[in-house]
Amino acid sequence: MNTTVESQLSIRNLSKVFKTGDGVRNISLDIAKGEMVTLLGPSGCGKTTVLRSIGGFLEPDHGDILIRGNSVLNLPPEKRPTAMVFQSYNLWPHMTVYENLAFGLKIRKYKKPDIEREVTAALELVQLSSAASKNPTQLSGGQQQRVALARALLLKPDVLLLDEPFSALDAKLRMEMREELRDIQTLTEMTMVFVTHDQEEALSISDRIVVMHGGQIEQLSTPQEIYDAPQSSFVASFIGRINVLKGVSDGQHITVGELRVPNPNVALPIGDCIVAVRPEDIYLSTQAGGLEGQIRQVMVLGHYAEISVNYKEETLKVFVPREQAATLHPGQSISLMFHKMNVFPAISVSEVAPRQEAHA
Amino acid sequence: MMMNASVKKGILGLALVIPSFLILFFVVIVPIVYAIRESLIDENGSGFGLANYIRLFTEPTMRKNIIYTLNVTIVSTLLSLVISYSLAVYLRFGHGWVVKWINRLYFIPMFVPGVIATYGLITMYGNHGWLSRLLLLIGIDTFPKIIYDYNGLVLANLWFNIPFATMLLSSALAAVPNSVIESARDAGANIGQLFFRFVLPLSYKTMWVAITFIFMGVIGSFTAPFLIGANSPQVLGVAMQQVFSNYQETHTASAMAVLMFLLCSVMGYFYIRTMGKEG
Repeated sequence: MNTTVESQLSIRNLSKVFKTGDGVRNISLDIAKGEMVTLLGPSGCGKTTVLRSIGGFLEPDHGDILIRGNSVLNLPPEKRPTAMVFQSYNLWPHMTVYENLAFGLKIRKYKKPDIEREVTAALELVQLSSAASKNPTQLSGGQQQRVALARALLLKPDVLLLDEPFSALDAKLRMEMREELRDIQTLTEMTMVFVTHDQEEALSISDRIVVMHGGQIEQLSTPQEIYDAPQSSFVASFIGRINVLKGVSDGQHITVGELRVPNPNVALPIGDCIVAVRPEDIYLSTQAGGLEGQIRQVMVLGHYAEISVNYKEETLKVFVPREQAATLHPGQSISLMFHKMNVFPAISVSEVAPRQEAHA
Repeated sequence: MMMNASVKKGILGLALVIPSFLILFFVVIVPIVYAIRESLIDENGSGFGLANYIRLFTEPTMRKNIIYTLNVTIVSTLLSLVISYSLAVYLRFGHGWVVKWINRLYFIPMFVPGVIATYGLITMYGNHGWLSRLLLLIGIDTFPKIIYDYNGLVLANLWFNIPFATMLLSSALAAVPNSVIESARDAGANIGQLFFRFVLPLSYKTMWVAITFIFMGVIGSFTAPFLIGANSPQVLGVAMQQVFSNYQETHTASAMAVLMFLLCSVMGYFYIRTMGKEG
């Protein structure tokens, strides 16, 4: 990856390996000003290690971290132009909400009226104007995390770091906070690095996503690309839901069971391969010509339905509009065809991520 | 006569409180009242008055003893506090084998009986003790007076109080989450700000517990000052014993006891006020 002068944050060949063997190896990453980049991956993939290294809470073994072109490696956290929103809110219990927000400005020697103005504005931004004189413990989890966000935003960092900030909140609140954060990010044009293990969260708020696995970057692309064109079977299975089938490639075509389709992956070696198809990319038909399966279950989930189809030893998941679901019933023989699919070399079959985790 | 339920409950409540109240009454309240009464009786037994207290504050030796006691107590308390706080902070935030070893060793003095520790200090720091002999070996033949002096007394107080205070403060600092420290550093706090704006406020209550216990322990100490203190001035504990046994002036001794009790009450007041505070 080439480093451009415009990079707000540049990570170069970052390595940090712990005694346990966990950690990251040779990570390079460039983030532009005003960009929201998410580090996504299962626990232990090294995403938090990268974030804490940027914030100065971990000392990398190798590599460099540059913010606006200057290495920050020798700076302690208090001197770095970064601010962090922690998973556990980390509000200071012996200070009021106002004091929590004002602290950073005070030590930056802001004048009192300026502090007042800034804090008031920040509280307005996170819709907590009425909470200024409250103690953090009097606030709900969501409110506390809003205060933590405001506290970090106030410092006007060159890069804002967010370490799974919403993971302690319930699902509904998490969704609201996500939208709010995205709004704030658009408004302030702040560069943000967001760590999460929640793929939905990553897909919804990011300009770009860095999918990490085993201490390395698996893929770095826009959410759409990550979803549509995963570069590895790990990414395919970690992001969204996907059906995985065995196939054989002859270079031009891929054969899956009775299906023979053009090969979409020119780099694929000839021989066994993995075919990954998203549930919405499978088309169910009563006419023969596809993979012949049998419907096991029809589950209507509001505006769409999830159909489980037995195909050989596998159970494939298919999403269909609810109108079509009404015509389907368990036991029915059905033919499956693919609108779109991704193929990967068979060698990475063991790297397919445990799917449940991605949906936790 | 029929008793209704609430009266019965009330009687039961009283019955449960009475044993502890009686213990408190006979072990604490009666002796205090008795001591106050004794302290108000003139030494010749002629009548009640403040003569004994006036004597405490006018007789030069007595006055010196009081000031000396306060001096030793305040200096010992502050020094113990500063050293234990530093030690506790170092143990909490430091890493490596030094921390590990200090952690294992620092509380050992708590398991050494006071008399033995005091004699240990005498043999170590006395005029012809180990330290002076070792210094002589490398050619230093002047040795400051430590034992039987103010310095020795403060040193003994440090020996007795640092381990306990460190233990108290360590447990308070253990309750300060790393995350608070990290977020404070993230916000830009330097080492000094970290301590005075975060570590200290978050362990403030325990600090008062430590101060109170050190203060009370030192002001009422007897063994160490009796064994290694100077002949004059003396701390109140030793002076009281002499007035009581050697001069048999029990009423004056009582007045001294009441004075010491009042000094401790001042500490107790601050302690209770701190503990009562919210957060």
